[in-house]
Amino acid sequence: MIIIGEKINGSIPSMGRAIAAKDEDHIRNMAIKQAEAGSDFIDVCASVPPEVEHDTLKWMLDLVQNAVDTPLSVDSPNPELIVQMLPFVKKPGLINSVSMEGNKVDIVFPAIADTKWECVALLCDDSGIPQTAEKRLQVFDALMAKAKQYGIDPSRLHIDPLVEMLCTSEDGVNMVIDVIKEIKKRYPTIHVTGAISNVSFNLPLRKIINQAFAVLAINAGMDSAIFDPLDKSLLGMIYATEALLGEDDYCIEYITAYREERIGIPKK
Amino acid sequence: MSKVQEIAAAVENGKVKIVAGLVEEALAEGVSPSEILNVGMIDAMSSVGEKFKNNEIFVPEMLIAARAMKKGIEVLTPKLKAEGAEPIGKLIIGTVAGDLHDIGKNLVAMMIEGAGFEVIDLGVDVPADKFIEAMKENPDVKVVALSALLTTTMPALKDTVDAIVTSGLRDTVKIMIGGAPVTQAFADEIGADGYSEDAASAAVLAKSLL
Repeated sequence: MIIIGEKINGSIPSMGRAIAAKDEDHIRNMAIKQAEAGSDFIDVCASVPPEVEHDTLKWMLDLVQNAVDTPLSVDSPNPELIVQMLPFVKKPGLINSVSMEGNKVDIVFPAIADTKWECVALLCDDSGIPQTAEKRLQVFDALMAKAKQYGIDPSRLHIDPLVEMLCTSEDGVNMVIDVIKEIKKRYPTIHVTGAISNVSFNLPLRKIINQAFAVLAINAGMDSAIFDPLDKSLLGMIYATEALLGEDDYCIEYITAYREERIGIPKK
Repeated sequence: MSKVQEIAAAVENGKVKIVAGLVEEALAEGVSPSEILNVGMIDAMSSVGEKFKNNEIFVPEMLIAARAMKKGIEVLTPKLKAEGAEPIGKLIIGTVAGDLHDIGKNLVAMMIEGAGFEVIDLGVDVPADKFIEAMKENPDVKVVALSALLTTTMPALKDTVDAIVTSGLRDTVKIMIGGAPVTQAFADEIGADGYSEDAASAAVLAKSLL
């Protein structure tokens, strides 16, 4: 599982306050904790008004990359801003994100064409979020045509099929599971990602829903996810699922995570 | 840390990718193949067995240690032969009829092989007459090691010992038994010569039976 640590995001109230107060220690500590939890990328999202986003995001990226070696996930709704940030980042990481909305891919893809940067791509376009699997896959096809045009190998893409909230869904997560399976079938080397906790919005005991969804999505082919890596129950469920699916030789990833106390209830 | 200690640490931690390289390096430094085997591999696996017995490690951790040791043995075997080390004896091992468990049996076979035996592994679900056949084909066999992991297949241990007695070959070999439900008392009861509770002590036992 490619773990994208989600905790450094200004839309999380405590992090938003830390950003507003320029609390460097808070951001740095959160970077270190997520790196220690085994994150493959640490997402950095300012979630501030557009006029201050450039300076805020650059300040945050620097703080994080000076605190940990883990590659960054540069997170902004503004594709131009993301491209402006790339020269400041020490080593290639992840772009979060593009979609078929507007000209996002035409801004981002050429900028990363000859680099090792990877990119999250959401399956929505100018008409919004398609409500059927068929329509989401049409957006996917359009996206892959763009990737081909700009020479982005599928293995550098993390496709987010858009995990929506279960509480208002009529058929549970079946549609998104179908989309995940189809994407993996068409491009075996592509990554499928998603924001796991979206699914449990406005339901009680969200963590249980998140875990159950993770199991189903991993089984369908999700191999990348944006979530809280400090959530030891969810992380444990992810490692256990991969072991059960035969993707963890000798269960050694699972056992190592246990030994390093990254999963399960910490020993007293 | 000496090279041999590095090998031992790599075996204990199941670092399968680096063991062969470390063994080559140790040989290049002039460490004797038998020291590499005894200290770097056998002692390391004994320590792994000890940790497993004390519930400090899990089965997969023991298995990757065994896998790492195997890589090292592959490099060492030709060197040991070149050194003129003859096998100390020939041993037949197998899991008895009706029982398909092979993990423990394989570990025991590897430890015994590491201890210097030539091991003939008949696999799992081995009927008594197959053991006897193998004994006839290898008249120089010194020890027969029988494994059973289930209470329901323990009687097959007795059947196999009985069949060896009936075949008239009982006096030509020593018989040792093992497996989770097996005890020293059971070994005594069915007329086996020895019992051991884990892979490391099985190797010690096999040597003592020569």
